[in-house]
Amino acid sequence: MVKVHDVHKKFGHLHVLKGVSFEVKKGEVVVIVGPSGAGKSTMLRCINALEKVDGGHIYIEGKDITDRKVDKNRIRAEVGMVFQHFNLFPHLTALENVMLGPVVVKKEPKEKVRELALELLDKVGIKEKAESYPSQLSGGQQQRVAIARALAMKPKVMLFDEPTSALDPEMIKEVLDVMIELAREGMTMIVVSHEMGFAREVATRVIFMDDGRIIEEGPASKIFTNPDHPRTKLFMSKIL
Amino acid sequence: MCGQASPWRSLPTHQKSRRSIIISDSKFTLRSFVILFVFFLILFLGAYLIQAKDIYNWHWQDIPPVLPVFLKAAVLTLEVSAVSTIVAILIGVIGGLMKISSEPALRLLASVYVESIRNTPLLIQIFIVYFFIATIFNMSAFQAAVFALSVFEGAYVTEIVRAGIQSIPRGQWEAAYSLGMNYFQVMRHIILPQAFRVIIPPLAGQFISLIKDSSLVSVMSLPELTLTGRQINSRIFRPFEVWFTVAALYFVMTTTLSVFTHYLERRMRVNGKST
Ligand SMILES: Nc1ncnc2c1ncn2[C@@H]1O[C@H](COP(=O)(O)OP(=O)(O)O)[C@@H](O)[C@H]1O
Ligand SMILES: [Mg+2]
Repeated sequence: MVKVHDVHKKFGHLHVLKGVSFEVKKGEVVVIVGPSGAGKSTMLRCINALEKVDGGHIYIEGKDITDRKVDKNRIRAEVGMVFQHFNLFPHLTALENVMLGPVVVKKEPKEKVRELALELLDKVGIKEKAESYPSQLSGGQQQRVAIARALAMKPKVMLFDEPTSALDPEMIKEVLDVMIELAREGMTMIVVSHEMGFAREVATRVIFMDDGRIIEEGPASKIFTNPDHPRTKLFMSKIL
Repeated sequence: MCGQASPWRSLPTHQKSRRSIIISDSKFTLRSFVILFVFFLILFLGAYLIQAKDIYNWHWQDIPPVLPVFLKAAVLTLEVSAVSTIVAILIGVIGGLMKISSEPALRLLASVYVESIRNTPLLIQIFIVYFFIATIFNMSAFQAAVFALSVFEGAYVTEIVRAGIQSIPRGQWEAAYSLGMNYFQVMRHIILPQAFRVIIPPLAGQFISLIKDSSLVSVMSLPELTLTGRQINSRIFRPFEVWFTVAALYFVMTTTLSVFTHYLERRMRVNGKST
């Protein structure tokens, strides 16, 4: 489904990704952990074509998205992304936030999209807040709207960049529950998160990244409790 | 403290107030009225002396007959300013988009435009338009005035639009792009509607100062308020009465708009859903 091959990314002289390769199969849930500055966000942004790679290839369903001829907007429409700070559109209601993608990008009829959007808001448990503006919602509610907004485009894969790290503790669970449900339904997901409970419950694999490289990967139980690499061990001892 | 509230001491120091201590909000007292009375008495005496010593003869009675002409001219001033502002907004949106473009040539062009307008006197720009561009393109006085004023104001609107767009956080772009929108869709549906809110107040301020600046297009023989003042004055020769009336009309137009925009702003803030 997603194949990342030897991807390099530089910001000026800063070498942020130093040859990252991994593969995510359809229906897999891959959790990426690693210290701040490791390049996790940059990796996700490359997969969503928000950032141009300086070397290597990224394939989505066999299509090389690093190819200059590929339509970047098309790629982004097929890849959903959820951000740490939600990034909802503050001038639109929750419902309008969810409807915007299909209406503007796919040019689908509004009435049909409204139905889909209400369904999705129901699914993330905030149908009653459809007419609220983002500023009237709690962080957890905003993030759930953001997930619904991404889902409205019917993406092939969902990327989550620390979706719960900006949330108050009591709101983390409501967002993780939505993500767990999504994972159980078979959505392909790449999740940057240090929520071990989530990883243990649904992750098919955990990848540990440090300093622009993948240090090791494996099942959640192994990476969290019994990693091979000393850098992984050191990191896990810090976050536990 | 004594009953007589001094405007300079009326604010107790222990009271945490948002207002400064110097400008306090104490009420009018008898003393305030005495001060005002003395001020207007001096003013009135001065005016009387000017009349009595035959320095200047007041002829306010000459103004009402020409007032309709003045009002018509004021409407023309408003028209020129409003049309120029609308054109300036078009220029400003294009200029603002050029300024944030990823193409250096477009950024350079926009900067050259803004800097050359902002660093030269409006009167000189008006001369260039009037004696050169308007002649080439055979423009009417109104067209030439709108041309000069909108090119002038467009430079300021460009900066307002640029600042407004750049005030929208990067995350808004990213979220919109990640849905698959292209540049124009992001602009139209996400960035501009939000930037609009930020842009409106300075834009209104720009419109208000254009009403005053438009006085300079009187040199283009467009019978707006200032030129009308000159014409009427050369006919009835009452310089103080005429120019005072002209100033008062400008004042009424700008303050009315000012009050109206404050009201709009407050309403926008009340309805504002953004945090
Ligand atoms: N747009 C950018 N310009 C310059 N440097 C950047 C940019 N984005 C990220 N970086 C740098 O790249 C490195 C990796 O960042 P990031 O991918 O956000 O790490 P992580 O998400 O793992 O914390 C950091 O050192 C960060 O400062
Ligand atoms: Mg990050």
